[in-house]
Amino acid sequence: MAKRSFRWIIAKRIINVFLTIVGIMILNFFLIHLMPGDPITNMIPRSPKFDVSLKWELQEKFHLNDSMPEQLVWYLYNAFTLEWGTSYMANKRPVFDIIMSDMRWTMLLVGVSTFITLLLGMAIGAYAAYRRGGAFDVGSTAVSLFFYGMPVFWLAILLQILFTTHPLGISWWPQLPAGGYYDTDEFGAELKWTFPVVLSMMEHLILPSITLAIGTVAGVSLVMRSSLVDTMTDDYILTAKAKGLTDYQVLRHHALPNGLPPMIALIAMDVAFIIGGAYQVEYIFNYPGIGWRTIKSIGDLDFPILQFIVVIGGVAVVIANFLSDLVLIYIDPRIKIS
Amino acid sequence: MHSYNSHSKPSSMRAVIAVAFIAVLAVGFAGLMVAPAEAAYMQEAPVANAGPDVNITVGQTVQFDGSASVPSEGATIFNYTWNFTIFAGTPARQMYGVNPSYTFDITVSGAHLVYVNLTVTDSAGLNASDEMSVFIREKPPTFFDKYWLEIFLICIASILLARPVYSVAKSLITHEPIVTEASRERYRLTFKKDRKIFYQLIRNPMGAVGVVILVFFASLAILGPSLAPYDVKAIDPANAMELPTPEHWMGTDNLGIDIFSELLYGARTSIVVGMVSAIIASFLGAAVGLYSGYVGGWKDEVVMRLNDIVLSIPWLVLMIVVAALLGQIDLTGIILIIGLTGWSTTARMVRAQVLSIRERQYVERARSIGAGEMDIIRRHVFPNTFPLVFANTILTVAVSILSEATLSFLGLRPVGEVTWGTMLSFAQEASAFQIGLHWWILAPGLCIVIVVLGFTLLGYALDEILNPKLRHR
Repeated sequence: MAKRSFRWIIAKRIINVFLTIVGIMILNFFLIHLMPGDPITNMIPRSPKFDVSLKWELQEKFHLNDSMPEQLVWYLYNAFTLEWGTSYMANKRPVFDIIMSDMRWTMLLVGVSTFITLLLGMAIGAYAAYRRGGAFDVGSTAVSLFFYGMPVFWLAILLQILFTTHPLGISWWPQLPAGGYYDTDEFGAELKWTFPVVLSMMEHLILPSITLAIGTVAGVSLVMRSSLVDTMTDDYILTAKAKGLTDYQVLRHHALPNGLPPMIALIAMDVAFIIGGAYQVEYIFNYPGIGWRTIKSIGDLDFPILQFIVVIGGVAVVIANFLSDLVLIYIDPRIKIS
Repeated sequence: MHSYNSHSKPSSMRAVIAVAFIAVLAVGFAGLMVAPAEAAYMQEAPVANAGPDVNITVGQTVQFDGSASVPSEGATIFNYTWNFTIFAGTPARQMYGVNPSYTFDITVSGAHLVYVNLTVTDSAGLNASDEMSVFIREKPPTFFDKYWLEIFLICIASILLARPVYSVAKSLITHEPIVTEASRERYRLTFKKDRKIFYQLIRNPMGAVGVVILVFFASLAILGPSLAPYDVKAIDPANAMELPTPEHWMGTDNLGIDIFSELLYGARTSIVVGMVSAIIASFLGAAVGLYSGYVGGWKDEVVMRLNDIVLSIPWLVLMIVVAALLGQIDLTGIILIIGLTGWSTTARMVRAQVLSIRERQYVERARSIGAGEMDIIRRHVFPNTFPLVFANTILTVAVSILSEATLSFLGLRPVGEVTWGTMLSFAQEASAFQIGLHWWILAPGLCIVIVVLGFTLLGYALDEILNPKLRHR
C-alpha cells in the first residue's frame, strides 16, 4: 500500500511539472503577443529593396494570419519539437543551439557555486545554531544579514576591482582574470579541450562562482540556523539531552536529520534567485552564459532568444523543485507514509 | 533611410572604403583620360551643413537633415557620415549612408548633450565636416515629481498606521455607528497591544537597529533633496568627471552633476519605489492567498497552479524581459513591473496560513451561528493573517529595492530619474574605479546594502514578535 501511494505521489508530481511547463509557455506566449511591436518588422532588414510580398510570405510561414488559439497551438508544437526559430542577428543561428551552448557555462557556474553554498552555508548555519547566542552565532548572523542584502552585481564589481589590481600596492596580492571563460588570447578563440585550457577555465571560474556563492551562503546559513533552532526546541531533543548525549551527538543524530528537509525545499525554491544572481555575475565578469546572452539580446532586441530564455529559466526552477521533492520523499519517512 | 545595425558596421565600412577607393581611381583615371591635367587640381572640397542645433526632451527622436553642396562641377556627394558623441565620451554611434537625413533615437536617460558631426565625402574623395549639438532636456515634471512627498507619506502612514486605523475602522463600522463602551474598550485593548508590540520591537536588538537605520534613511528621503548642495537636473559639461574636491565631496559624474547630491536625491526615489511596489505586491498576494485558501476546491487548485507558474519563472529574468519588451519605461512602469511580478511568495504564505485558520474552532463556531463567508474572512481570517502579511511586506520592501537597483543597473533604468541603481549603472559604464571616482560606485552600493539591511532586520524582528509559531522561542 505504502509503495503504491509512493508511486502515485511521483506520478502526480510529474503531471504537475508538465502542466507548469506548459503554463509557463502559455504565459510566455501571451507576454510576447501583448507587447507592442510587430515581429516581422523586426525580422526583415529595413532597406529600399524591401518587398511587400516578402512580408506576406513570412506572415504565412509563421502562421501570423491564423487566429490566436491556432497560433498558440503552433507555438506549443514548435516549442516541444525544439523548433525555436533563429536569432535576428547576422549569423542567424538557431535559438536552440545558442541557448544550449550558453547553458553549459551557466550550469557550470551555478553548479560550482551551489556546491560551495551548500557546504559553507550549512556548516556555518549548523555551527551557529549549535552555539546559539555565542560570539560565532551573533557574528555570523550579522555578517550573513549584511551580505544577504547586498546587490550581487555590486559585490561582483568590488571583487573584480579587488582581485584584478594590486590594492594599495601590495605586490603579493592574488591576481585573477577579470572576465571571460578562458584565456582566449593565449589559446585562441576556438575552444579546444586540452589540459591547459581546462586549467585556464578553472582559474576564470574562481571569481564568478565565489561572488555568486557569497550572497547565497548568507541566505542558506540564515535559514539553516533558524531551521535548526526550531528543531532544537522540540521535545525529543530535550529527551535526547536527558538521556545524557553530548551536544554534538544531539546535533548530529537528532537535530540535523530533522532540520534538513525544510532546508532542501528552501534551496530548491532559491534556484530562481541563484539564476537571477548568475545573470548579474555573468554580465560583470563577461562570462558567456545565459545571463550574458540575455543582456546582449536586450541590446540587440533579439526577441526569439529572449522569449525562450524565460522558458528555460522557468523549466530549470520547475525541475529543481521536482528533484528536491524526490529527494525529500526519499529521505523523509513521514512523507512516504502520508 | 537606413537603420543603425551594429553588426553590419564592419562590412559596410569595408564596402564604403572599397567603393570610395574604386571611385577615386575611376575619377582620377577619367580625369586623366578626358580632361587636361590641370582639371584634377581644380577640384574643391564640398561644403557640409549639418543643420541648426536641436533642443528636445528625453524620449523624443530627432530627424537630422543635413545638406551639402559641391562647388566643383561634375562631382556628386558620395556619402554622408553621421557621428554621435554622447557627451565627451568615445563615439557612441556612427552611421554611414547615402542619405542626408537620419533619425536618431534618443535612448539615453536623463539630461544629455550630444555632439553630432556630419562628414560628407564627394565622388572625388574630398571631404568636409560640420558640427551641431543636440541638447536633451529632462521631461517636464511627471505626476511622481509633483506628488512624491504625498506618495511617500501615504506609504509610511499605511505601513505604520495600518493596524491602528484598521482596528478603529473595524470598531466603528462592524458595530453600531455610535461609539459604545464596548467598542471603546475594544479600541483601547488594541491600542495597548500595539504599544506592547512597539516596545517589544524597540527592545529587540535586531528591531532596534532596523528602526534606527530606517528612521535615518526616511529623514534622508524627506530632507535629502533640500540638503543637496547642487541641483541634479542641471548638467554642467565643463566640470564632468571631476575627482573629489571640497566643493564636490564625491566628485562629479559624466554630466558634471554632483555625485553627493545625486546620492541624496536617489534615497527618495529608491525607497519610494521599494515601498510602493512592495505594497502592491503584498496587497495582490494577500488577496490571492485569502481567496484561494478560503475558497478551496478546484478554484484553489487553479489559482495555485498559476501561482506556481509565476513562482517558477526567475523574477529577474521575467522583469528584464517585460522591461525590455516595453522599451522605454518610467518610474511608474518600474514600480508596476516589480509589484506585479512579486506577489506569488506572499500569496503562497497567506494561503498556508488561511488553510490552518479555516479549520480553527472559532471559525467553526462563527459559521454555526450563521456568519456569512465575507464576514468570516473579514472578522476572523484576515485579522489573523494580517501580522504575517505585515512582516512580509517589510521584507518585500527590501527585495523590491534590490530589484529596482538590479534592473536599473542592467540598463533598464527609469527614464530621467536618479536612483541608486541608475547611479551605479552610469558609474559602471564610465568605469568609475579606473578614473578614481570610487565614491560613485561605493556610496550608492553601501546605501542600498544598509537600507536593505534595515528593512530586513525590521522584518525579521516583526516576524519574531508577531508570528505565533516563533513566539515561544
